[in-house]
Amino acid sequence: MNAVETDNLRKVFEIKKGLLGRDSKTVVAVEAISLTVPAGQSVAFIGPNGAGKSTTIKMLTGILKPSSGTASVLGLDPWKQRSKLVRQIGAVFGQRSQLWLHLPPSDSFDLLAEIYGIPKNDYRKRKALLVERFDLGRFLSTPVRKLSLGERMRAEIAASLLHRPQLLLLDEPTIGVDVIARQNLRDLVCQWNREEGVTVFLTSHDTGDIESVADRVVVINHGRIVLDDSLSSVSENTLIEGKPAGLEEIIAHLFSGATNLSMQNCISPS
Amino acid sequence: MWFSKILSYLRLARAYIKLNWSMQMEYRGAFLSQALAMFLNNGTWLAFWLLFFNRFPVIKGWEQSDVVTLWAISAAGFGLGNAFCWNLHNLAAMISRGELDVWMLYPRALLPHLALGKMSATAIGDLAFGYFIYIVMVRPDLHHFLLFNALVVAVALVFIGFNLWRGSLAFYFGQAEVLSEQWFFAMITFSTYPNCLFDGWLKVVLYTLIPAGLVSGLPVEALRDFDIGAAAFTWLGALFVLASGAASFELGLRRYQSGNLLGMRS
Amino acid sequence: MKNSIRQIWAVAKVAARSNLAYIGEVASRTFFLAVILFIFLKLWQATYRESASSVLGGLTLKQMLWYLTVTEAIYMSAPRLAQQIDEDVRSGALAVRLLKPISYPLYCLSSALGERIVRFLANFATGAAVTFCLVGPFDCSPAAPLMLLVTVLLAFVLDGLGHLIIGLWAFWLEDTSGLLLIYTRLSMILGGMLIPMELFPDWLKSFVLFLPFPYLVWGPAHLFVHSNWLQFAQLLGCQFLYILLLLAIVKVIYGWALERISAHGG
Repeated sequence: MNAVETDNLRKVFEIKKGLLGRDSKTVVAVEAISLTVPAGQSVAFIGPNGAGKSTTIKMLTGILKPSSGTASVLGLDPWKQRSKLVRQIGAVFGQRSQLWLHLPPSDSFDLLAEIYGIPKNDYRKRKALLVERFDLGRFLSTPVRKLSLGERMRAEIAASLLHRPQLLLLDEPTIGVDVIARQNLRDLVCQWNREEGVTVFLTSHDTGDIESVADRVVVINHGRIVLDDSLSSVSENTLIEGKPAGLEEIIAHLFSGATNLSMQNCISPS
Repeated sequence: MWFSKILSYLRLARAYIKLNWSMQMEYRGAFLSQALAMFLNNGTWLAFWLLFFNRFPVIKGWEQSDVVTLWAISAAGFGLGNAFCWNLHNLAAMISRGELDVWMLYPRALLPHLALGKMSATAIGDLAFGYFIYIVMVRPDLHHFLLFNALVVAVALVFIGFNLWRGSLAFYFGQAEVLSEQWFFAMITFSTYPNCLFDGWLKVVLYTLIPAGLVSGLPVEALRDFDIGAAAFTWLGALFVLASGAASFELGLRRYQSGNLLGMRS
Repeated sequence: MKNSIRQIWAVAKVAARSNLAYIGEVASRTFFLAVILFIFLKLWQATYRESASSVLGGLTLKQMLWYLTVTEAIYMSAPRLAQQIDEDVRSGALAVRLLKPISYPLYCLSSALGERIVRFLANFATGAAVTFCLVGPFDCSPAAPLMLLVTVLLAFVLDGLGHLIIGLWAFWLEDTSGLLLIYTRLSMILGGMLIPMELFPDWLKSFVLFLPFPYLVWGPAHLFVHSNWLQFAQLLGCQFLYILLLLAIVKVIYGWALERISAHGG
């Protein structure tokens, strides 16, 4: 089964100007995105600010309705079956916490269990498992505001896995986290991806995150996919101007605005 | 000598006010809505008093027009005092956060720079509100109006001096934000209720520790009876509050510069 | 239905727990309440004395003070619901909230409810202690606390819906704080926070009864000092009616908001 399938997904915003919105101008946020992600894959979905990343993700989660094109996520139509879909999605946003700042993580977990309607027994087992694997035991009853950022993010990711989501959205999950804790977070995500087969959709500007978590890299710019390849093939087989290049360099090149066509001149598979 | 010095500080004040004003005008919409919000907020309290005096026309010799005068003078005085010296409102917090250091880099005396550094849209709303209700609801003759102006300036000085009192606390106690805020709250609350309600020891407090009597007492009597004596006492009190405020700030500042402060955040 | 009630309960519980820290602020709140209740005491003491009656608007001086204690506790516990929605919309945090299988307005409402109950209880306990020291107890009927609790809870639901209606305008307006100010000031004055509705002029009283505001403030507070089962039933009826009405409005506006989000991205 495919976790995500989109065909020519497109979103045009109409921006009203003037007092009564007499003049309006249309902005194409996403030109045409066709993407197939098999279940269990972990994909890095990257692009410069304003490339259409978050618009695409909002369409995939049913918050935005596409102007044209189709999408199916976990076999569901995102905007017709949104409430069913969100029960299958877990999300971690590095900049926005879903944990209650003044309460210990344990309380937020209990609340999420109610919000997702997880049966009591299941929840107990699941929580115990996650606490053990994410090593949360030591600070499970400490108010979140007193945790280090690394500890907090571990609790965040565990919280987003409580309801056994099939799709995990990670947005800048390691921002501001120190090097060691960062590696720890990446390992945990990889582990879960392998063991439970959760599909991971990662957006990050950190190439370290991408290299250690993703199997596949999708780069979008100006609302289009400009690169879509497996991580290994990207990092092993890409030359820029005849020389081997690191992921960071390749991404910078793509971000600098080169379109797919002209990119073929500088990036050539050897 | 001293005359030219005062003149130069007046020029400084003008420059600051001009700068702050043009900054407020950059965000004209936000400025207007904040000022309007204050208008509305004060209007609620005035509505309460109108309802109250509609039911009970005289309380301890005070009538509706007296309480309107009270709100006019306290809003306009508070507005004038804070509109152009908004930094003084948060002085305690600025001191304990160590923000004074930035201001010390300037030549000339610290206090005028610091005081004039920030403008408040809501305080301008208060100022406008005070004048609006005085003119529309009390309908003063020319004499009363001139006296009103003189008293608004005096009340503004009371508020500036009082802000210096409570702000300087931070020089002596380090963390004084809560205390400073509560002192302010007491001052503003007592300044907006008829002074005639309070007697005995409290009356003494209201002309010393919490100088709200200089806002809600003397000036209102001065305007009601056109009592120049009461107005003169208001001015005298205002100058005393201002002078003692400035003195406690300067003394505190010396401690600050000598690094003799307790409990300062690093 | 059963599921969403469990969700409401769970969110409210966590919000309440998260605000237990608020009880720590009680010390500083005591001062605020003490000042304001003391001033109310002085004002109404003078009013009762000068109107030479022991009962005004059906309340004795003691009952008046206890009435104002309840209204102050209600007012001071106001939630930050509308501002929260404003922030969620502006910062984009809304997209995160929409990823949860609980309706966004329901989430906001339950969380505000949990928060407010804790704050109300803390404020009421403090205010009651102050008022007890000022005027002593009044002969409270044994049912009064129960009636207060039930009607205050419904008043909070109603007020929460009011805040929600204001906050949801954040999808269209740049800033909802102006609307919020109008709403809170109206509930302050027309809700009888400062002066019970019995003392309003007749024309205003008959008009205000058709608005939701009295059922937010005056209703519970008056019932507390004047408990009576018939009035209790009437108040519950009015509160339920308004809750249903506002629920319908919230549903409509939220429907529009969702449409707008799906077209424009919020």
